[in-house]
Amino acid sequence: MKKAAAIAGFLALLALLVALPRLVSSYKLLTYTRFLILALMAQGWNFIGGYTGYAAFGNVAYFGIGAYTTGLLMIGKWHVPFFPALAAGALLSALVAILLGLPILRLKGHYFAIATLGVAEALSQVADTWDSVTEGSTGIDLPLKTEGEFFYYTALGFVIVGLLCTAAFSRSKLGNGCVAIREDQDAARMLGINTTLFKVIAYALSAVFAALAGGLTAYQNIHVTPGDFFKIDYTLQMIIATIIGGAGTVLGPVLGAAVFQLLSTYVWSKFLELHPTILGVIIVLFIVFLPRGLMTVLGRKRQRGERPFRMSDLLANVRAHRVT
Amino acid sequence: MGGAELGQIFVNAVLLSGILALVALGFSLVWGIMNIVNLAHGSFIVLGAYITFFLHELLGVDPFLSIPVAMVALFTLGWGIQRGLINQVIRAPLLATFLLTFGLEILIVNLINYFFKADVRSVTTAYSGTGFTLGSVRVPYIRLGALGISLVLVALLAWYLRATRVGRAIRATGMDIDAARLTGVKVATIYAATFAIGAGMAGAAGSLLSMIVPFDPTLGGGYTQRAFAICVLGGLGNVANVVIGAAIFAFVDVFVGARLPSLSRAVTFAILVLLLILRPQGVAGKRV
Repeated sequence: MKKAAAIAGFLALLALLVALPRLVSSYKLLTYTRFLILALMAQGWNFIGGYTGYAAFGNVAYFGIGAYTTGLLMIGKWHVPFFPALAAGALLSALVAILLGLPILRLKGHYFAIATLGVAEALSQVADTWDSVTEGSTGIDLPLKTEGEFFYYTALGFVIVGLLCTAAFSRSKLGNGCVAIREDQDAARMLGINTTLFKVIAYALSAVFAALAGGLTAYQNIHVTPGDFFKIDYTLQMIIATIIGGAGTVLGPVLGAAVFQLLSTYVWSKFLELHPTILGVIIVLFIVFLPRGLMTVLGRKRQRGERPFRMSDLLANVRAHRVT
Repeated sequence: MGGAELGQIFVNAVLLSGILALVALGFSLVWGIMNIVNLAHGSFIVLGAYITFFLHELLGVDPFLSIPVAMVALFTLGWGIQRGLINQVIRAPLLATFLLTFGLEILIVNLINYFFKADVRSVTTAYSGTGFTLGSVRVPYIRLGALGISLVLVALLAWYLRATRVGRAIRATGMDIDAARLTGVKVATIYAATFAIGAGMAGAAGSLLSMIVPFDPTLGGGYTQRAFAICVLGGLGNVANVVIGAAIFAFVDVFVGARLPSLSRAVTFAILVLLLILRPQGVAGKRV
């Protein structure tokens, strides 16, 4: 019964999302498209950061690679159509992630985080200086496409595919192996898990999602510059969205992206100047009171003997993580 | 490159490494003792710069004399942040403190931006831009003073951690928190003191930077990254490692900057990543 209700609710939500372009203005639709693209990036980050527990801080590198590959193929002499160009971008990102992942996934904790950050910084400067290909800081211009619905539906399709992928991943040997690596890498290795292979696959998956988001954003924004497509804000947004929703859960990244985008848009419209300050406060509050995300509030299953969420759990979270 | 140019590059690198050591000092302490990568470190530096700027602008205080004021102010702020916020989440997964300090960075930088606007400011005194020459090599007085003060503060912290009760308690907590607690160390207070010292050092670094470079509220982010790189290069766990890391970073930065200005960041980070892969424990560090 419960399951049927959940599926019905999900289908209703899906129907609403499909019908949305008819219901809202094209400006509002842009906000929803942004939410979907953020959800896509967060879903990708969830593979490496959520399930595998590696704090990747440079995923914007793959966002940028996706954007530039898509753009350059579309405007190059072959005039590749959008979807094949996007696929090429995703493939190239996966390749780069595999090649980079092999050495840097040996690092742990903060060191891995800073290595990925360094890769993103370096790529940003390469895009900035490699004038003959990327036009440097002037950037490249893609063919114009103004139909907002196209971007909305493409992003929606990708997010749904992403949900299915994540659900399959979390049930697979690969996903369970990644969780084992997160909990105790040495123990996982002792159990016969090829930790390097699993980590590299999770990292490459996250790169593919980031590249899809990057290519889509490039086509939507038309103009691609290193400053816009390699900025650390994207990395941070995907991490924050995943954390707010719940890292290492199937629905968490999408939920987190929705909450983050809605909060961000609301705060933006009400407090333009203090917008980042308030976002900062929101991040701090989430980390202090709900460090494992919203899914710990919504995702409790009664048949597993978990009691429903109570407000006092917020304080219990604090009590569990504080030092006295 | 000629001998004169080489000499100038060398002197610039030495002068830069002093201030960079101070920039990374508090960051390294906080990271080494509490395993917190404090992304708000840069915003503390910016606050220090603004304190010096306003004391000089409004009250005519000499920027060098405002350093203790900046240190005390940032020490107090750091204490409050650690006691009130970071201590509450410090046992959560690693990413929690990472994001918490990131949230603080956004918050502080944008509050500064809100109150003081994004104007680029600089502290200019009668002796700004003056210096002496050694052969053909120019040495500005302010940078020399900054180097001196940095070295004094580095030495002072090294002494404090080695010779005082609180300093020893800080190191003990960093080595083994449970053992420290058993010997009667109040961990929450020691954590607050550690973070406060780190913030105070950042305040001093900000004061010095305000005399050397023009700054706006976003000055700090780049210095957080540099501090991170320096800690990785030098390794954690020892004040001397910070100085070694800062020196390596400064020399690479100045040399690459002189040869390949457009790619300086990429080259610096490429070296950093390479080093991380080859020697994750740092050049001077033993094991982290």
